[in-house]
Amino acid sequence: MTSQTLTTGTIPQDSVGYDQTRRSIFSALYSFREALPGLLAMLMISIFSNNLPGVPNPLTLQNLLHWLDGVIGPIHHQPFFQILNSNFVWNPLFLGVLIGNIFGVPNCWKRGLSYIHMLMPLGIIMLAPHFMVYRSFKIGLAPILICVGALFVTATLTLLISRMVRLDDRHGSVIAGGLATGDPHASVILMPLIKAKGGQVVNSFFCLILFGLVALTLLPLFGKWMDLPQTTFGLFSALGIGNGHQALTAAYNYGYEAGRYTYWYDIGRHVLMPAGFIYVFIVMFLRQRKNSDNPKVMATRGIEKFPPWLMVFLFFWVLACLHVFREPAREVIFNLVIWDFSLAASALGLSLSFKDIFVKPGLKGFLVTFIAGFLRIGLLMLALWICIKTGLLPAA
Amino acid sequence: MENQRTTDDTGFDYMANKGREEKDRDMLGVILAVVLVICMTLFQYWLWY
Repeated sequence: MTSQTLTTGTIPQDSVGYDQTRRSIFSALYSFREALPGLLAMLMISIFSNNLPGVPNPLTLQNLLHWLDGVIGPIHHQPFFQILNSNFVWNPLFLGVLIGNIFGVPNCWKRGLSYIHMLMPLGIIMLAPHFMVYRSFKIGLAPILICVGALFVTATLTLLISRMVRLDDRHGSVIAGGLATGDPHASVILMPLIKAKGGQVVNSFFCLILFGLVALTLLPLFGKWMDLPQTTFGLFSALGIGNGHQALTAAYNYGYEAGRYTYWYDIGRHVLMPAGFIYVFIVMFLRQRKNSDNPKVMATRGIEKFPPWLMVFLFFWVLACLHVFREPAREVIFNLVIWDFSLAASALGLSLSFKDIFVKPGLKGFLVTFIAGFLRIGLLMLALWICIKTGLLPAA
Repeated sequence: MENQRTTDDTGFDYMANKGREEKDRDMLGVILAVVLVICMTLFQYWLWY
């Protein structure tokens, strides 16, 4: 490590310096003295953002938002900030962005903050036991097939539309992952796979949440127009909107039974999430390999072979499907994921300026999300109508 | 120059690690994840049942 690098604290952008000083695999961790300030910053932001497992700190953003939810009152049985997708990823990211943009980030933090690069694969691998496919078997064959169709059709449509409007392919990919899986977390998971910019990922979060807010207002109207039964509207809401509480808000607005059935059908969407983001990665990876000379093809640029950590994720996902991880272990592992993603999101937030999030990505992301999202809703309405007419789904 | 507003001229992109450094970091993440998941799962079978 050169004295210049130590003085400025910037992260080396090329691997030449690293290769010269590398002693073992652990050289990527830097020295404890260099990494400590950044790690402490991540820790402090994390424990003041979330109620992390094992940390009895009541002064958290999560608790503040929960209290505000109580003041505002429920909206169709759902807490307001949950509808806005407040959770263990977005809370620390929000605080990190605020701190970074108001006070700035000292250079001495950057070594430690760069640990996000290790935390991302770590968290994604540990997420695998969370997706137990067998849980979805209870919802029935036709709904499962509709979930699978909605996932792959939405991802493909979003990628095609983003190409048509000439959106940066990295930005289009993270939107495709988040919209198809119905969970903005998928955008974060795709970040290291697609090599997307942090600003593009956070911008895609805003695109998805804004689309969800519009969709949750309109979906009950579409449901009444089609005279959908409460049970089927549960499936419609879970797949047409996703995003957990946003789907529940639309469904409880339609009727109490529809809300309960959204819980029931949402598992079909949830367990298929890994298939969604892996599909987006594979499509963009193959495209990059075919167009390696095209400078406009940015997604997965620099990845020359299937990432080993993604293979480990797939291996654990198969084990999860075989019921190797029972409930206590799954829960403990998920607690570690909460820790991991909280730390990573804190670092990501600190690295982003408002310009990175709102100005550089532009408005095309919103356009792509809304076109693809409403096309999905239209196709779902058609599929549900056919299923009801053919008796695959109940008519009342 | 001290960075006052997050990104600086040399970039502040965590995903910009390349080559050997990126592989080492990925591998460290994989090793840690595998160790943690295996430990949790083994504890589940040996200690809780």
